[in-house]
Amino acid sequence: MGASPFNVETAFSIGPLGVTWPVVVTWVIMAVLAAGSFLITRQLSLKPGRAQAVLELIVTTLDSEIRATVPGDPARFRPLIGTLLIFILAANWSSLVPGVEPPTAHLETDAALAVIVFAASIIWGIRSLGVGGWLVSFVRPSWFMLPLNLVGQITRHFSLMIRLFGNVMSGAFIISIVLSLAGLLVPIPLMALEMLTGAVQAYIFATLALVFVGSAVNEAGPPPETQQKEETHD
Amino acid sequence: MSFDWVTFGFQIVNVLLLLAILRYFLFRPVANVIARRQAETDAALEAVEKAKAEAKAATQKAQAEADATAAARQDVLDQARKDAEAERLALLEKAHAEAEKIVSDGHAAHERNIHENKAQQMARVRDLAAAIAERALTAQPQDVGSYLSRLVASLQKMPPTERGALLKGGNLTLMSAAPLSDSDLALVKSALAPFEINPEFSVAPQLIAGLELQSDSGAIRNSLAHDLEQITEAMRDDGPD
Repeated sequence: MGASPFNVETAFSIGPLGVTWPVVVTWVIMAVLAAGSFLITRQLSLKPGRAQAVLELIVTTLDSEIRATVPGDPARFRPLIGTLLIFILAANWSSLVPGVEPPTAHLETDAALAVIVFAASIIWGIRSLGVGGWLVSFVRPSWFMLPLNLVGQITRHFSLMIRLFGNVMSGAFIISIVLSLAGLLVPIPLMALEMLTGAVQAYIFATLALVFVGSAVNEAGPPPETQQKEETHD
Repeated sequence: MSFDWVTFGFQIVNVLLLLAILRYFLFRPVANVIARRQAETDAALEAVEKAKAEAKAATQKAQAEADATAAARQDVLDQARKDAEAERLALLEKAHAEAEKIVSDGHAAHERNIHENKAQQMARVRDLAAAIAERALTAQPQDVGSYLSRLVASLQKMPPTERGALLKGGNLTLMSAAPLSDSDLALVKSALAPFEINPEFSVAPQLIAGLELQSDSGAIRNSLAHDLEQITEAMRDDGPD
């Protein structure tokens, strides 16, 4: 960790754009996840092996969580929520690699994730309610609630960002401090705790994202059956 | 504190790109294989249910066929029993009729035999009577003298001891079928004179014709009645044919 957790170091530049280390680590994580997904899913069969069984368990659990929060077909939200969960978990656990700072320990990554969730909630809200209905949802139950709903819509995503950033950054910061003070093996218990914290934060972020998106969808009630079938394999 | 907007932009693009990658390479194939397995499981369960339904239907059909077969078998058995009973009754009635016919025929034959036997017996009796009469009449003498000659000849042919016992026995009697005339009486006495006897004379109509001499020791049968008895006895010994 650098001197300030709010500073990002540039790894290299592409023309006028400086590519920072969080972006590089994210690319590595993306490459690993993409390669792993491709390798595992290219030989899927009806009689699953261990890796396929783990993937199916993840997808099934994800679907059950989505179904418990949002009525209807879970396939609509599976890519977004699953990607958030897997990426944040991988990013948080990337700190186990020596010399690597998790991308989620930098505000830009967390902000990007929060903005994506924010945009998704708007898109799903408009898709479910229409533009008018989505706008009307801000004045419910009365016009008096308009400023509160607007502030709430922003602050809850802001808190989503800050919660993830604070937890991951603080963990990585503490580990780097302890490592600089106490030596090589002392931070290991803290790193184990950081793994747990990283998993919990990934779960919390994904769950809250699901709740935020789902709240926008639930305003319109459960989706019709035809819509569910169309989006089953989405 | 600073916020790197470039990194922020990169990360948005990165996450969206990762979302697309995972959606295409991870979630879609895994969800598809889960759905495929679920579909196959549903199809297998449906097939099992269908097979169970078909098995149940087949079982019910087999049971119905078995029941129908049992009912048909029972009907056949009942019909066979009825036919057998009817056949038995018909045979019994026919047997009774034939037995009655046989009995009636037997009775008729018996009656016919009786009549035929009676007729045959009557014919035999007639023949026998005619034969007896013919034999008796052809062998009989025509008068007392002839009978007396046969009587004397019989006495002469007897051994002397037997003749003596006869003649000297008590109650010596000469029986005739009809009273003798004086001339016949004189003829008898002259013919018996050589034997030195003086018999009593009596009439015995059962002799029909002839003279018989008898005493307490014996008798000389010399009459038509005796001849008839001998002829009858001889014919009885000859048998029915």
